[in-house]
Amino acid sequence: MRRALALLALAALTACAPSVPGTSTGGSSQPAASTDRLTIGTTADVVNYNPLVGNSRTDSWVTSLMYPHLTQMDETGKRIPYLATEWSYAEDGKSATVKLRDDMTWSDGKPVTADDVVFSVTAVQKEKFGVVAGLITALDKAEAVSPTEVKFALSRPDGTFLDNVGFWLPIVPKHVFEKAPSVQKFANDSDWVSAGPFKLTKVERGQRYIMERVDDFGPGKPAVKEVVFRVFPDVNTEVLALRNGEIDMIGNVLPPATASELKNDPKIKLQQVPSLGWAHLQYNTKHKPLDDVRVRQALAHAVDYEAIRNIALKGFAKSSNSSVLTPSQPDYVDPSSKEYTFDPELSKQLLAQAGVSGLSLNMIYDQADPNIARWAPMVRDAAKKAGITIKLQGLERNTYLDKTQKRDFDIYAGSWAVMDNPPANLGLAFKTGGFINYAQVSDPKLDKLIDQAQRALSPAEAKAPIQEAARIIHDQVYDNVLYVETFNIAHSATWTGFKPMPSELLSILNPLSLAAAKPAG
Amino acid sequence: MTVADLTPRQRTWSAFRRNPLGMVSGAVLLLLALVAVCAPLIAPFPEGYGADTLQPPSGAHWFGTDDIGQDVFAQVVWGTRVSMAVGVSASVLAIVIGLLIGVSAAYFRRLDTPLGVLVDLSLSLPVLPLMILVAALAGPSVRTLAVVIALFSWPEVARVVRSQALAIVPMPFVSAAKVVGGSSLWIVRKHLLPGVVPVVGVSVVLTTSRAVLAEAGLSFLGLGDPNSWSWGTILHKAQQSGSLASSWWTTLFPSVAILLLVLSTTLLSVAYNDARNHRSDT
Repeated sequence: MRRALALLALAALTACAPSVPGTSTGGSSQPAASTDRLTIGTTADVVNYNPLVGNSRTDSWVTSLMYPHLTQMDETGKRIPYLATEWSYAEDGKSATVKLRDDMTWSDGKPVTADDVVFSVTAVQKEKFGVVAGLITALDKAEAVSPTEVKFALSRPDGTFLDNVGFWLPIVPKHVFEKAPSVQKFANDSDWVSAGPFKLTKVERGQRYIMERVDDFGPGKPAVKEVVFRVFPDVNTEVLALRNGEIDMIGNVLPPATASELKNDPKIKLQQVPSLGWAHLQYNTKHKPLDDVRVRQALAHAVDYEAIRNIALKGFAKSSNSSVLTPSQPDYVDPSSKEYTFDPELSKQLLAQAGVSGLSLNMIYDQADPNIARWAPMVRDAAKKAGITIKLQGLERNTYLDKTQKRDFDIYAGSWAVMDNPPANLGLAFKTGGFINYAQVSDPKLDKLIDQAQRALSPAEAKAPIQEAARIIHDQVYDNVLYVETFNIAHSATWTGFKPMPSELLSILNPLSLAAAKPAG
Repeated sequence: MTVADLTPRQRTWSAFRRNPLGMVSGAVLLLLALVAVCAPLIAPFPEGYGADTLQPPSGAHWFGTDDIGQDVFAQVVWGTRVSMAVGVSASVLAIVIGLLIGVSAAYFRRLDTPLGVLVDLSLSLPVLPLMILVAALAGPSVRTLAVVIALFSWPEVARVVRSQALAIVPMPFVSAAKVVGGSSLWIVRKHLLPGVVPVVGVSVVLTTSRAVLAEAGLSFLGLGDPNSWSWGTILHKAQQSGSLASSWWTTLFPSVAILLLVLSTTLLSVAYNDARNHRSDT
């Protein structure tokens, strides 16, 4: 109850805050940025310093500045060199080779070598943990051919392997991590030995994380001396701090309403990065009557897609034409896909054909996800026009995850954050028994096409089967893709030089971008 | 007619009427109750979405619009309904439990110690985290909220009722009732309950206001029912959409509604207590 009182006070305070941007700061003299320090706002503490385990956004932002990955992505999602300079598959697809740079060193002076890469990937393979383990099932054995060359022997041809390892696997120092009895349980919470552009020097829990520049960082000396992550209670307070010049950048994605308001603030710049994932509705194909494709089609035609993108997302979202191959994947996108029309009358007809009346379904979602919490009622209200009752169950996050794991729902509303490689991701999401196959799809034809795409060694070769698979997913409504979000990341106009990359995980906080950041003018 | 000719109830009422604060508070509460009951006549249920997002208050939208273009006035009107329903039902439930436990503790001496321990234990629980936990596990719905809040509000009622009942139990008329062979149930019903009703009356009002606050708090934390509107839900959505700092109308009006309700219930119970306490008449 005391909380409720505090809430009252808070509401009263904010009610008095001026609505015109910038008037409260009063100061026209915003201090010019110097190369001494770049301060980034975040809303959470680092929970796990072991990069192989940690999975919150703050964990990943901080540790990715410390531990290199083999590859990075450019703005279009194409893989570009980081620790690796070249990578390729053998003719038969049964092995892959990666060449490494020779100018990277750990902060204790030892060089970063192929042994470290082999150690990192083998640890994950042996102990089977984290997101990477599920993506490298084709790996048979990794070995260091020379200090700068790694060879991966594969048990089957897998064209997604290098992309997955390059993007997801942080490389950790063998000589430090091998001392722990279990790499997975190694806390790594002090005396860090790292090799990224910045090293963590000071931690004040709940307050700030101070990272210092590494002068001899291989890909180039960072311009900024110090990067500081500051912890805030929520995005609203981060925005106030950015406007007051207390921080230089907000790590978290801005809510669409805040972004459209900050757009006109001359002191603030917005960087727009596309999402690699998508927001969607999934219909549990094992629940009657959702096993009938006509019922799923009826539901798909009872969603006002335009309104969700324009009102709930304030236009910061793109249509993916109801295809799981989104515009963020230019190599795979299928221009012939058409978005389901919003047509309640058609829905009614489809339901009548299926012999279903008085359809009432529950829909689960994470109440703490601001975007979904905003459009979930819009889905309910649009479905009402087609005579379908949708009962919203906005759940606390852990309950929601639990229900998702148990597939205990009629409709699932959510979003996938990073789907960086369609053949690999569609396998997880739509193959029979897939790890994130929430809709419980089981379609032999689809399984075969996805397998075929995964065996292909280049995107060009994988394109045809994966597009065919996406068409089946579209026609059978195994997934109803609503939109691909455009993320807005705000930083002070006194900074420039960021290298934006897709997804909120990388955005402009990726190591190469922060290494390149410099004061404007 | 002199003051001495009036029954105690009439005396309380005439004293109460002379207190403008109490009368105004009562009127405000009546108005809120009326809004809650007549919500469908005042504004359409806020649903759907519109193109006019985050509009400041105007003739068309008295309290402005929120980030998906819904009318905040309609939200507050319908929010009154859920907030008060949760508040009243939680408080009734808490009163029933508190009354049962308080009266049994006072009348049945052997139960006094164990029940006293139970009440003390419940009072020492960290209420908010527990409420959050239970509400999260049980899933969000208006009924869950009412039950959860009631489960954590009864100990205060029980304690007040017990102390009032303790003063009645040793009275001669209770002993007389025992002597003539009245059953315990009959004595509790005829003698104890009427004696504690005035404190319960004050408790109902205060517990309701606390329950409304608790409901607002839980809803603000996202544990409210997504299918209905309460004042806390409106605040939660404003905070979540990031429009909190820029669009004051999305938070001011629900906050004022909460303030009005809590203030008027508190003042009302103070005024009632003053009116009943005849010593202040002289």
